[in-house]
Parts: sequence; C-alpha cells; structure tokens
Amino acid sequence: MPKFDVAKHDLERLVGKEFTVDEWEDLFLYAKCELDDIWEHEGKIYFKADAKDTNRPDLWSAEGIARQVRWALGMLRGLPRYSIEESNVMVYVDENLKDIRPYGVYAIVEDLELDEEALKQIIQLQEKVALTLGRKRKEVAIGTFDFDKLSPPFYYKAVEPQKIKFIPLNCEREMSADEILEEHEKGKEYGHLIKGRPYYPLLVDSEGNVLSMPPVINSETHGKVTEETKSIFIDITGWNLETIMLALNVIVTALAERGGKIRTVRVIYKDFELKTPDLTPKEFEVDLNYIKRLAGVELTDKDIKDLLERMMYEVDFVDRRVKLRYPAFRNDIMHPRDVLEDVLIAYGYNNIEPEEPELAVQGKGDDFVDFENAIRDLMVGFGLQEVMTFNLTNREAQFDKMNIPEEDIVEIENPISQKWSALRRWLLPSLMEFLSQNTHEEYPQRIFEVGKATLIDESRETKTISESKLVVAIAHPKVTFTEAKEILDSVLRHLGAEYTIREIEYGSFIPGRAGEIIVEGKKVGIIGEIHPQVLENWGVEMPVAAFEIFLRPFYKGSFL
Amino acid sequence: MELSYQEKVTLIKLRELKKASFDELVKETGLDQVAVMRAILWLQSKGLAKLHEKQKRVVKITELGEKYAKIGLPERRALKLLVEKGKVTLEDLREVLSEDELRPIIGILRKEGWATVRKEDDVLTLELTEKGKEALTKERPIDIALKVLAEKREVEAREIEELLSLKELKTRKIGEEDAKAEREVEITDEGLRIASEGLELKEEVSILTPELIKSGGWKNVEFKHFNIHAPVKRLYPGKKQPYRTFLDKIRRKLIEMGFIEMTVESLIETQFWNFDALFQPQNHPARDWTDTYQLKYPKYGFLPDETLVERVKASHEHGWITGSRGWGYKWDPRTAMLLMPRAHATALSARQLGKGVQIPGKYFAIQRVFRPDVLDRTHLIEFNQVDGFVVGETLTFKHLLGILKRFAVEIAGAKKVKFLPDYYPFTEPSVQMSAYHEELGWVEFGGAGVFREEMTKPLGIDVPVIAWGIGIDRLAMFKLGIDDIRYLFSYDLKWLREAKLVW
Repeated sequence: MPKFDVAKHDLERLVGKEFTVDEWEDLFLYAKCELDDIWEHEGKIYFKADAKDTNRPDLWSAEGIARQVRWALGMLRGLPRYSIEESNVMVYVDENLKDIRPYGVYAIVEDLELDEEALKQIIQLQEKVALTLGRKRKEVAIGTFDFDKLSPPFYYKAVEPQKIKFIPLNCEREMSADEILEEHEKGKEYGHLIKGRPYYPLLVDSEGNVLSMPPVINSETHGKVTEETKSIFIDITGWNLETIMLALNVIVTALAERGGKIRTVRVIYKDFELKTPDLTPKEFEVDLNYIKRLAGVELTDKDIKDLLERMMYEVDFVDRRVKLRYPAFRNDIMHPRDVLEDVLIAYGYNNIEPEEPELAVQGKGDDFVDFENAIRDLMVGFGLQEVMTFNLTNREAQFDKMNIPEEDIVEIENPISQKWSALRRWLLPSLMEFLSQNTHEEYPQRIFEVGKATLIDESRETKTISESKLVVAIAHPKVTFTEAKEILDSVLRHLGAEYTIREIEYGSFIPGRAGEIIVEGKKVGIIGEIHPQVLENWGVEMPVAAFEIFLRPFYKGSFL
Repeated sequence: MELSYQEKVTLIKLRELKKASFDELVKETGLDQVAVMRAILWLQSKGLAKLHEKQKRVVKITELGEKYAKIGLPERRALKLLVEKGKVTLEDLREVLSEDELRPIIGILRKEGWATVRKEDDVLTLELTEKGKEALTKERPIDIALKVLAEKREVEAREIEELLSLKELKTRKIGEEDAKAEREVEITDEGLRIASEGLELKEEVSILTPELIKSGGWKNVEFKHFNIHAPVKRLYPGKKQPYRTFLDKIRRKLIEMGFIEMTVESLIETQFWNFDALFQPQNHPARDWTDTYQLKYPKYGFLPDETLVERVKASHEHGWITGSRGWGYKWDPRTAMLLMPRAHATALSARQLGKGVQIPGKYFAIQRVFRPDVLDRTHLIEFNQVDGFVVGETLTFKHLLGILKRFAVEIAGAKKVKFLPDYYPFTEPSVQMSAYHEELGWVEFGGAGVFREEMTKPLGIDVPVIAWGIGIDRLAMFKLGIDDIRYLFSYDLKWLREAKLVW
C-alpha cells in the first residue's frame, strides 16, 4: 500500500552490485514490493515501489529493499548485525504528557555521509512510517535533527500553548503555537492531534531551544538535517511504546545500512528508565512439518533453514521444531503462517509450479438468482431494455422528487457526496433518473431493472433486508396506465399469480390511475401513470407509466 | 427474360413510341415516376432500352410574369383606359399603372403605335390611334408567350423563340432562361424484338396478402420489385444490460468449474462480518472513518451467537487456540456491531464458513459492494466483486496458485501468468496474480491467499481455506469496449441501445 520512490544507483550502491531493470523487477518481489513505475531524471533511473505489506515498515525504503536483496541473494545470511554503543545522552520525559502524547523514544546515528539521494530516502521513510504505521502521525511522529548542532540533555515537555514560540520549519518568522496550528500547512494538517489540550508537547535542548512540537512540526533553526549532517538525533513520539520502538528500530537500522553507527539514548520517565533503541532480536518457534505441509513444494529441513536465513532469520533445529530469531525491526510475526510466507517468498512464487487441486465437488448456482435471470429474460421478451443503476441515492430522489412523504431509509453517516447518502428503498426513482438523463434520445423508451431495494427490518441481524424487485417504466407520447398494466398482467400470468389492483392515492401517480397490486391478499407492488408534478421534478417532458413489484412472493423454489 | 410488370408496361409503350422523353413515358404508362425510372434502369441493364440524358434550354415564368398574367401587361391596362376615354393624361394612367410601370409606358405605346403623344395645356396627353383600337382584340407574340408561360410555368426555349426573341422576355422581366436535363428513352433492337414477340401483362401487387395465397391468385400476379438497398428504420430490441450479461457469463463459468454460489439477504453488513470475523483489527487503517462508510440509521446491528463472538474476540486479543499471539488489544463488541454498506464480498465467505461448508468445497459470490470514493472515469462508488474460497484437507500453496491460474485461463483467456507477494489482513501467505492478455498486456487479475487460522478457527474450520478474488472490471471494460468505468452502470440509453451483443 505505501508507495515510495527509489533511485536505481542508490539501491545498487547499497547492495554493492548492479542489475538490469528487469532483474530489479524480480528482486523487488523479495521485499514484498511491486515495481510500479520507472522513469529517468538527469541520466539516472528511478523506480516507484509499491509496498504490499502494511505491517513491514522495514521494507519501505531503498535501504530496506537493498538489505532484503542482499540477504535473498545469499550475499549475507541470518540476523543482520549492527554496531551499537551506549551514549550518555539523556532525554527527560514530562509526566504531564500522560494524556497528551505520553511516550518518546530516541537514538543517535553517527558517522553518516549523506548526499541528496540519501537525504531524500530518510525523509521519505519518516513520512511513510508516520503515515501508515503511525496512522497519520497519531500513533507515530518522527523528528530527525543534526545532533552536532544540539546541546543535550533534552527535555520532552508539556508546555502551556501560550508559552510556546519558535520558528517552524519552512518559515522565516517566529510563530506562537496557535498561529502554527491555524496558519502553517502542517499545523492545519496535524494540529487536531493536540488542539484544545492544556499543554502541547515540546522537545527542547538544554539551552531551551525548541527542536520540535510533536507531532506537528520541527524547528527551522535548530538541528535541521542537511547533506553536511554527520550525526542524526532521532525523536519518535506516540501513544504506544511497542509501536514507537518498532518505528525507531526501522529508522536507525535504515541509517545503519548507510554506514551509520547507532548510539543508544537514556530516556528518563518518572517511574522508569528506557535505553533506546533496543535491537535485541525477537524469537518465534514453528513446527517444520507445518511449513512443509502447507508449502506444497518439496522442501528438506536444510532447504527451509537456507530459505529462512535468506529472510534474515537465525535458525536452530530443536527436534521437529525450529527456534527462530528475527530482526527487531519487524513485529509482524504472529503465527507460523507468517514464517511460511517468508519461506515461500525466499523460494520465489514464480518458481512454484501451480497445480489445480482435484476436489470431487459440483458447482451450483443459487436458485433465486436463476429466478431473477428468468424474469430478466421475460422482460427482454417484451422489448424492454435492461438497465443497471446504483443502490446509493439520496432522500430527495427517493421522496421529494417522487412527490411522496419521507419514510425511514438506510442512511450513511459519512457520505462522500450528498448525492450518494442513502440506500434506495424503491427502484422507480432510479428509473426516473435514467429517463431524465435520456430526454434527447429517441422515444419510445421502455426500460426495466431487476435490482435491490433495501428496507429497514429491526428483527434482522443487519436491521435491514435488500429485497429483489422488478421495476418497469415506459415513456412515449401516447403511453397510459393501460400499457403498464398490459405488461404487468402478462408477467403475473407467466408467474401463475392471480392478482387484483386496489385503487390508491399516491403522490407519484396521477389520481385515478394508480393502484396497489394485491396477490393472495398481500400487497406485492405498485402501478400507475407518473404524476406530471413528478415528471416536472425530474425534467422529463414525456408521459411515463410504470410498475414495481417484489419478486420474492412469486418464487416457488427450484424449477427442477 | 424475366421482366417485371412495370418493365413490361414500359417496354410495350416504347415499342409504340420508339423514342420518348421520361415525362412522356410517365404520362403514357400511367405508372408513377419512381416506378418508371426503376423500370427504365432495369430495361437498360438488360439491354432492352437506352436512356439518354441531354441538356435542354427552358424558359421559366418570373414572379412579375405571373402577376402580369393575372392583371394584364401594363400596356394592355393602359390601352383599356385609352379605349374607354379616347385620350388620357399621365395622371389618369396612375389609376391603372404603378409608378414603375408609368415611366416606360409612353415608349411602349408609341412603339406599338397604339397612341400619339402631344402637349395639351402644357400637359402630356395620349390619344388612341386606329391601330390601338384594333389592338384591343389582337394578340401580340408577347401576349401569347405570357399566356403559354403562365399555363405551363416552364416552356422549352425553342417554343418561345418561334414567337419572339428571349431577349425581349428578359427585358420585360416576365421570363428567364434556365438549363434542364432531359431524359429520353429509346428502345433497342433487342427491346423491339422482345416486345414484338408479345409480353404477357400480369397485375402487379406490392404485398402478398393472405387472400392471394389462399385463392392461388399469387400465380397470376407480378410482385413489385422492392429497392432492397433502401435504408430501413432503426429498431431497438429489448436487451439485457451488457455488463449484466458479462457477469452472468462469469457466474456460469464458475458454476462449471465446480463452485457453489453464495448470496446474502442484505447489502448492509455489520463490521463484525465485514472486518472482525476476517481478523482485521479494530484500529486497522482500512476501518478508519474516511475509508469505511458508517450508517446514520440504522446504526447498530446484532452480533451472531455468543460462542462465535467470544472466539473472534479471543483470537483478536491473544490468538485464542490458533497458534497466534493475536493483535494484543481490547476487542470492543460495540464497534463490531456498527452497520455499514458491505465493503467487500469476502464478508460472504466469512458468513458461509461460519454457517458451515462442505469439505472439500468451492464457493463463490458475485456481490455488490460499496466504497467511499468519488465517482469518475476510473472509480465507482459501488461495484460488483467476484470472490470466494476453496476449502479442503490437503490444500497447499501450490493449489492456490493453480486455482488462480485457472481463472486467468478460463475467464481472461490468458496464456501466461505471474505471481507477486501481496498482503491482505485475513490471508497469509497472500498472492497477487498478473495475467497476460493479448490486447491489454499484463493485467492485475486477481488475488488470493490462505485464510489466516486466526480467522478460520473461530469460524469452526480446521482445514486450509484458500480465499480468492478476481478483478473483473478491467476485463469487463475491455470486453464492452469502454474506457469510462461508469458505463458498466450506464445511464446512457443510446449506448445501451447500440451496444454490441455480448454472450
């Protein structure tokens, strides 16, 4: 789902090997990415990668893809090793952030040599992680800073909004917290995450310089990362320690792939202390037979070990079980199935010969669907054109324009457009809309639809039922009630039903030319000549006769 | 030689006349113009007659000419007054002549010698001559020409030129010259020969009536030849909607392939069946307000039986007995009760698995689903999904690929397929398939995966279940020849009427 750009030359210097574009297309699959697009810019080739797995942020960057490719090709095996040392840098977390944005985790990556492309990747990865894993910064907000420009220790503080003032990123003047929320592009986008709280989160250094106001915006003046930056200080805030620690692991290991050395930071909370990042490998255990049984390809124990090592697992056999250790930048392994998928991806989906299962089963269509199709065939026999219209509609179309009082209708709380804000409870308005869009087309126009009308039924699991209905509308200069009744009469005779018509007053129809269709004492539909007021509402300048019936009452079960 | 009634009548007349103009033939045969022309063309193609076309000069009456034919030429009107009064002044002539006619009148009357002109009391006075008196009952060539023109409206130039020069008519503005094609028909020697042998004339009919069949009268009539090339009225038959026919075809294919059809009673679904039963965590981004519709009314539905709900809850929270660690959050039944228009057909698979299935078994659904999108050329707000699953004790990943490939071959007519890793919250492993279509190239045609045990176990299924879905819209658009996806649900009657047959 996340899509991101990578440069071919950047990937290749990270892997340490060159490939053709076609080869890259296949290599991407190891990283669960699809090569979505290719373009050239100033003599360099760029790829758009479409990352399939929303739970694998470690794969959403050039560094991530390159790492997976190195392992998949056997250039490296087993757990990735990173140089990690302690620093004395400390961050103090204010307990008043408890209900605002309680957690922060931090790290330093040193000895970096960044160029434009590397910088682009760092920013892009931050954005993608904050967007997808971070649910648009709600769960994860990331800041990176030029560590050499800052003076530790740092303070993650809860500050009253009116006391906040700094120059936000991409601005020239100092702004207050409220100004940022109301005027700054990022403030408008993410301000809602802190707005209205008594305190806003603020990251400051020992000299009181504001580094950022998470999760909204960084400072323009303090610690901006550039191509000259050698050491990066990473700040990640959120609500769930596990999630932000994962995000931190993803970022620091990506930077380490560019030769950076990771330094831990001590994070001091009121009641406890953390040392972040924590790159201790995670553990999982699977049954070898489970993998073999579901894979469908012949795999020996050795094969499985080899494939898993190429997916960055450390593998130990203990009887029929496998003890696995996997990198701390992943947290998506919940079930042996997740390991199975890694085995298969390493094997290569396209190296597996597809085989259709031989199952002694017989197909069968739903009998009621067959019945609906038989009705469609019958209607076509009358020379009617079938139409397919949308179930989504709105109150106005269903009631006002049809000149009838409003009734209960299934309504959508968060429609994209008012036009599509309810589910239809009858089909005739859909056909009126169809006619209204074809007033320039030759008459006579004779149309029908077999479709669903969704009604409220409190007794059902979904409080609703979508009933199958037939609706017919005929428009031409000489049409009257009689023509609609002729078709109705014929349809009902073909269904073996005796019917009567009970005259009714109904706003949609001309008085004296409207009726309810009664079969075995029950109302099954409605017929009439459309009222000129309704025609005017729809902008149809042609008489229309119509009927609409429920189909379920006529269904007698399977024909055979 | 087979000759139609009209051809025979025409040929008989031509035998008498040898040569005749088209108009003459129309008059003589008593047939209508179209029939005669058709007969002549057929006779010509059979070598029995020849049609010559030549230009002829004609004279047509002008508007002024028509007026003079009614009220008389100006000099005639002046003469009448002169005869009545003996002598008149120009002022007197105003009674019968218009201002335009007044100016040249003295010249004309003098030229004709009908009046003499002199000055009386300084006023120009015209006096009738003897010749004038006689002229009242005598017709001049111009009077005759006007009469002929008024009668026939168009006369051959030759005919007029026998009376007077065309120039004069033109100067008086009562006639104008024109060119006209004249068609003349001549019988050929072969035509003469056939006509002399005698032609049997039968009555001609245009419609074969039941009476003619019953009475045997058809044996004695000729059938009028139709112009079989003439354009005819456009008819619009009753038809199924083309996209419907396409969906029907896919449905039949799936049934042939051993799949059982699943249906559901409402287009509305609980989040429980749409998401929770599919092991999609309640904080999953796909469940966000912006990506999922919610209902304003009715708002909440019911959850299924308690045992099932408890299992789903346990599976989400800690993995239950599925071998999973679960999502590790507190599952909220209230969220699961929220109602929504169904967002994917996989919800039907979950329902079916919960209800119980044949093992082994194959199931499918063609289901209308809804997504909060903006309707445009490439997006629909509601569409049909083709989705299902295969369940069986011994199913493996290899079979999953096999099932997908079969769809590509059977439904898209693909020769080649390729598989890519993919991700669905409810399947692992997951695959996306691209199929190679001759005209479309590589098309993303479907996805599949093995349902996660966190999903199937709570539904009471202990064997592998392969879930699949096929993306039919691009194929449908290609088959129906459209590049705007909205035409799948076309509101354009013209397009529906003209749409090519699909089957």
